[in-house]
Amino acid sequence: MKFNFKAALFRPVLKMAMERVGHGKLLGFTITKVARGQVNLTCPYDSKTVGNPLTGVVHGGIIVSLLDTCCGAAAMSAMGKPSVAPTMDLRLDYMHPATPNEPIFVSGTVYKTTSSVIFCRGMAWQQDENNPIAHCVATFMRLDLDRAQFSGVIKSGFKRLLSRATE
Amino acid sequence: MDDSAVGSGIESHEQLRACLLAAREQDRPQLILDFIPYSGFIGAHAKVDEGDVLYWLEPRRSNIGNPSLPALHGGVIAGFLELSASVELLFGLRLNSMPKVVDFSLDYLRPGRLQALYASCKVLRQGKQLVNVSITAWQVDIELPVATARCHFLIN
Repeated sequence: MKFNFKAALFRPVLKMAMERVGHGKLLGFTITKVARGQVNLTCPYDSKTVGNPLTGVVHGGIIVSLLDTCCGAAAMSAMGKPSVAPTMDLRLDYMHPATPNEPIFVSGTVYKTTSSVIFCRGMAWQQDENNPIAHCVATFMRLDLDRAQFSGVIKSGFKRLLSRATE
Repeated sequence: MDDSAVGSGIESHEQLRACLLAAREQDRPQLILDFIPYSGFIGAHAKVDEGDVLYWLEPRRSNIGNPSLPALHGGVIAGFLELSASVELLFGLRLNSMPKVVDFSLDYLRPGRLQALYASCKVLRQGKQLVNVSITAWQVDIELPVATARCHFLIN
């Protein structure tokens, strides 16, 4: 198989774009798996993200953010080339509250790709994958980036790395 | 459970009730947001505006999802709308305990720019156990919504 430079670059760029920038950085998760159409991540417990101060349970917004990130990354990975995938809609069912002081595991899987839409499902769990906290389905628009835009993303990424290194 | 780490100062149901009562008496829904640590995490605020509660999310670099646009993170928008809906129930429906979210459905209509995001909630149906809330978010013009969401909560 021919070595695909863009595909080789995809994983580190995705990891950097998701984990080190903006809200991804604030959430503090780690992407543990990137395969085509499948992304997993792990997020540690953080008392700043609590939604119910009486129980210490994290807010549902955190679960949505993690699932949206994970499914979005899975959607991007499914396209096989540099692209963006804005979320069209997301539906989430909460099965039970998250246990405080324990990490949350999230997986996002693409189950169908069409020429314009990517369909994903996601799952969040703690101790037992078969007893999930939440389940979601999300659809993403498929927008292929041309070379120029992609090089712009890479450039801005390098610029950010440089500015951090010199800080 | 490590309540001290939460740092919101609310440790018992009595304190929670007192806080909710104060918020309603002073017409300050912000007091409810203040005891939910997640609201500080994303920078959410609320005030009473012409009889309704207006929620807003301050623009923060840490809420960005796509740095090249830059656009707000879809998850932050979702979390903010869900938070707004739960405060709407605690403030407007006079609930005395935290509502439990059952499901949440969100349609993204436009990218959220790095500027204030506003939201308003409408309780479409309140039953004995279940409440349905509809939430709309916009930035510059209320006629150009960024996202709409609906949410089911279990109460009591």
